[in-house]
This record gives sequence, structure tokens and C-alpha cells, in this order.
Amino acid sequence: MLISRNWLQTFFSDELPAAEVLENALMFHAFEIDGIEQKGDDFILDVKVTPNRGHDCLCHAGIAKELSAILKLRLKSNPFAAAEVFNFAASPLRPAVEKLETSAAVFESTRAAGKPVLSAAGHDGDATKTGFPAAPTADVVVSIDTDLCLRYIAAHIKNIKVGPSPDWLRAHLESIGQRSINNVVDATNYVMFHLGQPLHAFDAGKLQAIDGRYAISVRPAMEGESMLALDEKEYTLNPSMLVITDTNSAHPSQAGVAIGIAGVKGGMPAGITETTTDIILESANFDGVSVRKTAKALKLRTDASVRFEQVMSPELAAHGMREVIRLILDIAGGSVEGLVDIYPIPQKKKTAFVSVDKINQVLGITLTGADISNVFARLGFAYKEQYGIFEVVVPFERLDIEIPEDLIEEVGRIHGYERIAALELPPLVRPLEVNQNFYWAEKIRDHLAHQGFSEVFTSVFAEKGERVVLNKVDAVMPYMRDSLLCGLQDALTRNQRNKDILNVSQIRLFEIGTVWQLGKEILSLGLAVEDIKKFPKVSDFIKDLEEKLCTQKLHLLVPESGPLGKTSVVEFNVSNLVEHLPISNTYDQLPLSPTKRYEPYSKYPYIVRDISIWLPIGTFLNVAERIIKESGGELLNKLYEFDSYYDEKSKKSAKAFRLIFQSFDRTLVEDEVHAVLEKIYTKLKVEGFEIR
Amino acid sequence: MESENTNPIAGQEAPVEGGHIHPISSLIREAHQIFSRMGFALADGPLLESEWYNFDALNVPKDHPARDMQDTFFIKNEPGYVLRTQTSPVQVRYMEAQIKKNIHPPYRILVPGKVFRNEATDMTHEAEFFQLEGLAVGTDVTMAHLKGTLDKFYSELFKEAEVEVRFRPSFFPFVEPGVEVDARIMGEHVPVKLRGRWIEMMGAGMVHPNVLKNAGVDPKKYQGFAFGMGLDRLALLRWGIDDVRHMHSGDLRFIQQF
Repeated sequence: MLISRNWLQTFFSDELPAAEVLENALMFHAFEIDGIEQKGDDFILDVKVTPNRGHDCLCHAGIAKELSAILKLRLKSNPFAAAEVFNFAASPLRPAVEKLETSAAVFESTRAAGKPVLSAAGHDGDATKTGFPAAPTADVVVSIDTDLCLRYIAAHIKNIKVGPSPDWLRAHLESIGQRSINNVVDATNYVMFHLGQPLHAFDAGKLQAIDGRYAISVRPAMEGESMLALDEKEYTLNPSMLVITDTNSAHPSQAGVAIGIAGVKGGMPAGITETTTDIILESANFDGVSVRKTAKALKLRTDASVRFEQVMSPELAAHGMREVIRLILDIAGGSVEGLVDIYPIPQKKKTAFVSVDKINQVLGITLTGADISNVFARLGFAYKEQYGIFEVVVPFERLDIEIPEDLIEEVGRIHGYERIAALELPPLVRPLEVNQNFYWAEKIRDHLAHQGFSEVFTSVFAEKGERVVLNKVDAVMPYMRDSLLCGLQDALTRNQRNKDILNVSQIRLFEIGTVWQLGKEILSLGLAVEDIKKFPKVSDFIKDLEEKLCTQKLHLLVPESGPLGKTSVVEFNVSNLVEHLPISNTYDQLPLSPTKRYEPYSKYPYIVRDISIWLPIGTFLNVAERIIKESGGELLNKLYEFDSYYDEKSKKSAKAFRLIFQSFDRTLVEDEVHAVLEKIYTKLKVEGFEIR
Repeated sequence: MESENTNPIAGQEAPVEGGHIHPISSLIREAHQIFSRMGFALADGPLLESEWYNFDALNVPKDHPARDMQDTFFIKNEPGYVLRTQTSPVQVRYMEAQIKKNIHPPYRILVPGKVFRNEATDMTHEAEFFQLEGLAVGTDVTMAHLKGTLDKFYSELFKEAEVEVRFRPSFFPFVEPGVEVDARIMGEHVPVKLRGRWIEMMGAGMVHPNVLKNAGVDPKKYQGFAFGMGLDRLALLRWGIDDVRHMHSGDLRFIQQF
């Protein structure tokens, strides 16, 4: 979520600290920051709000509250605190008159530095100044025909003037990458990024009024129902999705024409244009899972759907409506003609408990009741402490807080995790269990490495097997392997191609990995040995391994594939094997890789050349190697001595080297290699070596 | 070996170079050596895992986005099973098995193993990779112990280096509080890319009471920490490996270097 420092500033009277200070504060006490960018006199922070805080922090108000708690900055007022005042009556279909009268106080149109501020609760407001009529009529009726809409507030505003937004509003929206459209649409967007509540404005002139009344309903879409959305795309809907409809409009099924996909996107049939004069504003709450599934199915993730997916408090809808009405009246004029709030089951007040002891016992620190009070006060929580137990009234927007551990997290992060001192675990009295699968796998690994085998991991995904993955993203190799053999055979073949550069006389590979065979998950051992005359065969290594593991029970090591001696790749069931091996009570201390750093290798083809030279008598050790390396330059990738010879008669020594030429950035051609070889020969001759 | 003479490959003429174990195996071996000195026993579990152990028992609700088709591999004709997306299911399996044997905490386990994410692969992402999970449960295991344990692990892994560990708030359904763990490793032998810089190492936290409850452990009596780190990433950092896809390449040009 992009957060503008200038926008945040509107929540505070005192100048905010530098952007880097805000970044650090959030990083160590709230959320990761993906980036920070300067835009004119503003700084934009990319805040990675965690999924448990999407309820309250996908907006500037939430982040402002966090910063207030972390940096002990005074907010002008709690952006979410005025809810109590804007308390729509319990009876859902009651005319809006009283509600507006009781709530008019919060629509105070104060302005500071040309920017809007949220007014504090309980102010004595001047209703005429806000543009509210003394006694509006309920000229909008809302019906909810689903359990997935927890609240729906609609407001009818007449005689507005659609036009460009004021500069401050454009600047705020553009600072976080939003495009300004017109004052009405901008107002709904602004309030969403300000308070987190998604909002929508319909053009009332495009809706049907019967006896002066508009009728909005929320219902499941019908099978095959379609709607042209504001992105000018036609979406085909189904009954798992919710639509907002103009109930009065003619529709073949009498269900009303869809004017919006609930919580996702508004529809063209009621889109705001420059000629719009009357609007119906929507501030609603839709079920998170339903919105997520709809957005996903339609491939239409919007700023609104992203917020509903995270589950928003239905209480917030009132805040959103209050703020958007105030803003629209301010920048587009008009007057509120009707307001209706359907809120069948209001959100219950929640309290959470935690003791001072429990906090200290989990965090591993020593805090006093006063330290903890301090944290809760900074977070703006109402709390009571009695006998070391805190009772916290959870703010409505903090849907994440329920159990003691949730409060412990609040204390830990606000107090600061850096204040937790590292402490080693006390020694354990009980002897450690030895995992037999791991013990024997390690034993086999170690033994095979001593016999010149290198360990590979190949993919568990294969082109055949008993089980198939339902939904593999790349669709290649969708099966789960039933054997290691294919993977090993493939690795053997591929490594054989690089044999020169690997400088091994026989390729020997093994893998210890999982396979799925005969309906079971099995730990399997596979061996792959390059078949070369005079070199040991895979069968030799099997006998050797049998001897190493269990001298008397050779038959237990059953190859799962072809007859021995005819194949170079075999496989065993380690899970079965381990059951027949003695139980070990201690692990062996096995060697670790001594490697300090990995060196990347070239992926281009290489060219091999052998050279053989007579050494002048009295040549120092490794002189030839040094000369070859120096003259070979960077194209000479590897150099091995593969033979040496001493001639008794002439008392001269000969050496044979294998040179491997390879480039990191291209495929070498013969001529290039030839040129380098010539250089090497010349230099060797100069130094007194004789080419054989 | 009882007698060298009977060994079928003894006395073969061809010179044989020593083999190499995979860097991941070496890293698991080393981590196990370090953690076993701190009382952690190695535990394992299946790769094809039930949704209960992989999600529900770990406090990941049914409608959580992580359970969407795109992140998790599901198996055809086996509803309720997934390729595990984390090593954490072993936490629940282990504790449950101990309770069945009437063995109560303290528990300390280390779980290395393969995990899966259904995503496109690139230089830093693979659909199959390795994780190292740790769990310590007792009456008095705290976040301070989590810090101390990780401090010790990194100090021993990067020998002769000075290591600092820090926590940042984060969120994982199976821990509360949840943190992201960064480490800063300083010293001559530390790879330059790593030296003196804060590096994101893993997710961790205090085991969520629901997870203990789901495993049959009384959360009123016991508490503990858990952590999970990517081993491939740790290997990349440790040895300066340039591409995570080497891990499953089976290519000796890579493996021979370890």
C-alpha cells in the first residue's frame, strides 16, 4: 500500500519526522517497507501491510495510528473515534431523519491549511453549513437479499456539480499513483485511501424512481447475468457473486438491473458523468471470502476488492459515509436528500484480557504494569488493570485482536523486540532420540561419497507415475515420480557430456529421495554408475554397500529394478531397509563440506586439447603448468595433468596435459583455440620445453 | 568393514576421485550437529500431506488465500491431500505422537525437508525447495530463548564471525507474536555480499495456542517458539551460489564444488 507522508501529515498538528524515521518506525514495529520514493516535497512509502492488519491498515488513517503509537506522536483526533456519534439507529428500515439529526454534529466542515480534517466527536455542528436539509426524507430504500452483505448505507445527494477536483485532492491521489477523474469519483477514492472503506457513487439520474423513491438491492447474480463495468468490459456473472441492482428498473426476471458487482466494481449503467447532478452513495460491507472469490473468478482485483478480501469492520462503513458526504458537499455542493442504513447484526464490542505475568513469560522480558499501560495508551486502547490483569476494549477496526497472545504481540512490537535480550535454552535432561531414517541415510551418504559417488537431487515431478498433480502451473512433468531411476539416468547422461571438464574417470551418482509407489510414500536410494570396461559395475557397489550396512542380511537390499549387472542404475527402498537394520542410539560425527565459496561455471560448450611435452632436465615442479596457464589466458578454463613418463635412457621426463577451453560469454570456435594453443607452444619452446 | 580383501571394489586399478555430498545435505548435517548440541532432535514427516496437518492444524483457516489452487499443489483424485507447503506440519505430527506415548514437553525438534510452492521458477524461486524448521516447547520457553537459539546457530554456522539477530513484526497464522528474523554477520571469512549487512533469514514466532491445542498439548501449561528458514537460500548466501536452480540440476559441475 502506497502511503504519502504529506497525506499522513493531515492527521497530525506537529510536523512529522523525516521519511526515513517513519520508515524505520514502521519496519521495526509494524510492517515491512518495500521502498521509499521522493515525489516533489512528498515521500511515498510502500508499506507491506500484513494480512492480519488489512482490516485497519490499508489506509492512511491506520498507518497514522500506528505511527502515533510507535513514535508517541499526538494525533489531532482518533480518525476512527467518531463512530459513536454517527450511530445509525438499530431498526434497519427506519427513515433516516433522526439519524441525520443526531449525526449532523460530526459533519463539521473544518478546514486546516486548505485540507480537510476529520472532526472530533461530540462537536456542536452547524447543520446548514454542511448543506444538510433540516429534515431530509427517506427517498432511498435498500433491501439485502443475501447473508454476505453485513451492512449497506446509501445516501442520496441532489444538485451536485461534477467537475475537476481541487488541487489538494488531486495532489493526494496522484501522490499514490491514482488518476484524478472528477470530484465525485475522486472523493470516494480519497476516502477509501484515507479511512480504508471502499465507496461507490451511482448516478441517480440513471436509476428509476417510483413515487420519488429509489430502490437499491443486494442480491446474488443470476446464472449468465452480465454487466458492463466501468472498465468498459462486459462481465458474465454467476450466483456465487453479488450484484447491486436498481430494483425499480425493468428486468425480464423482475430482479432489477445490475449496476455494480458488490465490493468489486461499479457498472456503466449508473456511472458518473460530467452531466450527473444527483447521486446515490454506497458505503457497504461485503463478506471477504465472497469478494475474493468473485474478484478472482472475474480476474478483476480492484482497490475495493483487495480491502474487502481482508475483511473490514462493518462499523467502518459509517465512517466512510460520513467522510465522503462531508467531502462531496464541500467540493461538489448539493444537499443530502436521503440516507438509509441497513445493518442487521451490529458488530459486538470486544474485550481481550492478558496478565502482566503472561506478557513477561512469553516475551522473556520484565515489564511492569506501568510499561504495559503505556503501550496500550499509545495504541489508543481503552483498558483497565486490576490485580495484574489487563482488560482491553478492542477498537472496532482491530478485528485482529482476540486472544491474550494478540495483546502480547502489541506490547512486544510497540515496546520493541530489540529490547528482548538473547537467552540460551537450558540444557535438556532427556537423551536425544535418534531418527533412524536420517541416521542410516547419513551413513549411506557418507559411505557412497567415500566410494566416489556424488549426491544429486532430481525433481520429484516426472513424466510418469502413479499420482498426478491437479494444478501444476507450468504443466510440464505433472506426475509425482514413482522411481528415482529416470532422474538419475538423465543426470548420468548429462554429466557424461561434461566428463572432460569434470575430470572424473567414471561418473558415479546417488540420490536419496522420496518416491510414490504402490500407493505409499517411500524413501528411496538410487545409484547410477557409468558403464566403462575395467571399472567397477553398479553390482559391485551394491555388494560393497550391503557389506557396509549388514553383512549377513544381503537379501534385504532388494533392487527395485532390472537384473543386476545389466543396468547401471538401480534403486532400493530405504524405508524398508532401515526397519531391518540395528537401531542406533547416537549419531556419527560426519564430515562437512570444506568449501568456502562457489565459483560459477560457464554454460557454453568447451573444446578439449591434449598436449604432451618433454621437460628440460632440472625443471622445477609445476613450471610447465604455470607457463600453460599464463599463456592460455582466460579462455583456458581447466588444466589437468593426465600422464607422466620418465625415459631411463635420455633421463628425460615427459608430461601430458589436458586443456579445456571455454568462454563465459560465447561458444568458442576452433580457430580461437588454435591461436591460444600456438601461443602456449611458442612460450613453452622459448622456455626450453620440447613438444612431443 | 570386516575385511578389506573381500570388498568387491577393493584393489580396482582405476584411480577414483572422492565423491561429493550435495550442499543441502551438508548444510542439513551441519545444522543438525549445531542444534543437537542445543537439545534438538531430528524429526521428519511425509511430503504428501493432509490439508489438516498442512493447514487446519496450523491455524490456517479453510478460506485462507494460501489454500488457493495457485499456491498449493493438489493431487488428482485425492481430495484433502497436498504437497506440503511448509515443514511446519511436522510440529503437529511430532507433538501428537509424543502425547500419544504419554511423553510431555519439553520438546525440541529440528525438521529439515522438502516443501513445495506452485509457482513459476526463476533464479531465486523453485517449485520444490528445502526448509529447516525448529520447534521448542516447554513451560518457560520464551522469545528471548528464540533469539538466543538463533544467535547461537548463526554464530556456529558462520564460524569465527560475529553475529547479531534482530526481530521485525510479521505475520504467520501458526505463531503469535510472529516475527521476521534478520541476521547480520561480521567477520573476515564472511562472503562480501553478506558481510555486515542485515539479511532476511526466516520467519519465526511463539507457537499459536491453537497449534498446541490441535496437537493435544495444553496451551495453558505450555508455550514455545517455532522458526522456519529456506535452506536453499541459506546455501546461496553461505557459498555465494548464483542460481537456486542448481540445487535440482543434478549437475556435477555444481555438486563437485562442495
